[in-house]
Amino acid sequence: MSALSTAPPAVSPRRSPVRKPRAAAAARFVGLCVMGFVISIPFLWMVSASFKPRREVEQVRILPRQPTLRNYPVVLDLQPDPGTGRFLELRFGRWYFNSIFLAACITVLQVLTSAMAAYAFSRMHWRGRDKVFLAYLATMMVPGVVTMIPNYQIMVSLGFLNTYHGLILPAAFSAFGTFLLRQFMLSIPPSLDEAAKIDGASHWQVFWNVIMPLARPGLIALGIFTFLGAYRSFFWPLIMLVDKQLYPMQVGMLALDTTYGRQTELIMAATVMNVVPLILVFVVFQRFLVKGIQLGSVKG
Amino acid sequence: MKRKLPEPAVFGFLLPNFLGFCAFLLFPILLSLMMSVTNWSLKPAVELEFLGARNFVDLLGVRGTAGGVSATGWAYVAATMGLFVALIGTLWSNVAGWRGSRLGGAVLVALGGALLAGRLAAGGGQGLVLGGGILLAAGVVVLRREDSPWGAGLGTLPPVLLTAAVAALWLLHGPMWSAHEARDPRFWRFLYNTLYLMLGIPFSIAGSLLLAMLLNESLPLGRWWWRLIGAAMCLACGAVTMLLVWWVGWPNLALLGGVLWLMAALGMTFNIVSFRTLFYLPTFTSGVALMILWKALYNPETGPINAALGAGLEGLGYTAGTAREILPQWLGDVAWAKPALIFMGVWTAIGGTNMLLYLAGLSNIPPQLLDAAQVDGAGRWAKFRHVVWPQLAPTTFFISIMSTIGGLQGGFEQARVMTLGGPAGSTTTLSYYIYNKFFEDLDLGYAAAISWILFAFIFIATAINWRFGRELEVVE
Repeated sequence: MSALSTAPPAVSPRRSPVRKPRAAAAARFVGLCVMGFVISIPFLWMVSASFKPRREVEQVRILPRQPTLRNYPVVLDLQPDPGTGRFLELRFGRWYFNSIFLAACITVLQVLTSAMAAYAFSRMHWRGRDKVFLAYLATMMVPGVVTMIPNYQIMVSLGFLNTYHGLILPAAFSAFGTFLLRQFMLSIPPSLDEAAKIDGASHWQVFWNVIMPLARPGLIALGIFTFLGAYRSFFWPLIMLVDKQLYPMQVGMLALDTTYGRQTELIMAATVMNVVPLILVFVVFQRFLVKGIQLGSVKG
Repeated sequence: MKRKLPEPAVFGFLLPNFLGFCAFLLFPILLSLMMSVTNWSLKPAVELEFLGARNFVDLLGVRGTAGGVSATGWAYVAATMGLFVALIGTLWSNVAGWRGSRLGGAVLVALGGALLAGRLAAGGGQGLVLGGGILLAAGVVVLRREDSPWGAGLGTLPPVLLTAAVAALWLLHGPMWSAHEARDPRFWRFLYNTLYLMLGIPFSIAGSLLLAMLLNESLPLGRWWWRLIGAAMCLACGAVTMLLVWWVGWPNLALLGGVLWLMAALGMTFNIVSFRTLFYLPTFTSGVALMILWKALYNPETGPINAALGAGLEGLGYTAGTAREILPQWLGDVAWAKPALIFMGVWTAIGGTNMLLYLAGLSNIPPQLLDAAQVDGAGRWAKFRHVVWPQLAPTTFFISIMSTIGGLQGGFEQARVMTLGGPAGSTTTLSYYIYNKFFEDLDLGYAAAISWILFAFIFIATAINWRFGRELEVVE
């Protein structure tokens, strides 16, 4: 290393003064391969178990001797369970729809209401603004567990149990989203919307035509974060829903596991149908998603 | 002073959000406070009654087995409170750099050593080892602080108070628990479970940092044709490995070897992006489905983990029966359920959002700093210790706050999906306890009280993290 450090500093700003030794890169490559291997083993077993017939599930051998596709149509209620001859009567497709529909509604509403409130907090001047904002910040400290119980009581009183709107309404706004977008909008130079205002634009016009397009990275980040959170939410739908038809995927999977937990091959087929679409979504949109997740997770 | 009311447009923008804020956040918080001082229940037969602080006393308090709480009991409670005050005082005095805090470090070392020695000599719980070890380590850190002078001062007081409180608790422990019991012993057990399950956090943070460091720079794989050739060679090697090992008669090893070569081929083709994607997958797909997957993996009869371990043991000469007896029951085993959940948690989180945050943090380190360190002859470790780690301190600080908050509230999903809080309540966390009290017993008042205590813990943890984390940034 001492010989290397006496080398003259590089002129090109793109290359660091000293070239990395190839051995270190090779070691990194091997380390990454091994970590990737370790992380992917559970997924490997999941896929393999989903293609196994009933009698092979408990065997150590990963590759099935007689692979079968049968577990998938059974979970999807296209074929009866070969063991009992009856249909499982799950609502797998419906659960998918519910999950995506609910997450989409929540995301659109939450991003819209948060953006509007963020505009009011960052671009409008009114008495008590900072005090109201402080109240928003203060409630961000309170964990979700605290508000879950009274919210359930409120839903019971409103008669919203076992409905879609009972799942959507409480999630349709967020103090965190408002905070995130306010910070984002504050970083947009005010000269832009002041110019629009001098030209006679109303608040709505400034909001839609100036601020919203400029705040797009923040909106997308919040949208991704909200969508993933809503797709994964489990506690709230679990306590709110009774009707199997309304279950989102997360609760549906629990119901499936509770009823047919002993039939590992069916459970794993269902798990594959849960996980693989997500993997595809992530692989296709990952550049996009990684940015959103990085931005969205920095709350403080 | 132009107008008293804000212009109407403000209402238009604010109202949708503000209504939701009031209806589902502000009002519930107030309602929850109200519930926690009543016996609010969803059972129609229960009449609403104002209880004052009784829910909280029932949760945190003790009672005498033969009537009231004796003087010993009160002394014990006072000593416990003194312990808390002394702990926070110790932290505070070091953060604020009070005079005498370095001598206090010596006291901490002595106390930690005494606890460990006492555990060895007189026996006691695992908590003594953990507490003693942490005190010892913290004391050493304080002792090594060279910015603070020696000598006694106000900063020596909290460690001394701590020692006094620990001594009092040690003396009173026997007489206390022979005549008293906790009013809600489950609460304390579940709190212990919650904290135990949080032991995975440092591992997952360290792992995330390591992965982020591995992923930080692209691998120098050359031009695209070199990469394609490399990938093709990896695939060819994989095929040869699989055929050979399969032919020897180990189909599983053949498959796993093939997967390893496939990783290499992917890495050759897409460079670090493929690894970043792979590492993030467990987090991205996390949820009930993955918990069900792990439940199947851990299944002692039908799961692959015990099947593989059993096959290994049989290879070592054990009979199938003894192998089955030796192997842990994982989620069905009081001793193994928590470690199993921790392992799953680390697997899920290691390449997750924390890693992405560390990657963002690493890319924000000015390259001049690293180059300057290089020119000064810093080695790999010195560069990490003196450049990378201090530069990442804000990220680490943020991650540890978020993980602590998440950990304190966590454990509900795993408990509900994987273990139902068992075996024998060993995986029930506070959040699952709240769910049980609320959804099974319909006792909303008590559940709300637990949730406020949880809030208090989160608040204290955040405050400590905040003070401590800010100090880290200044010191480095």
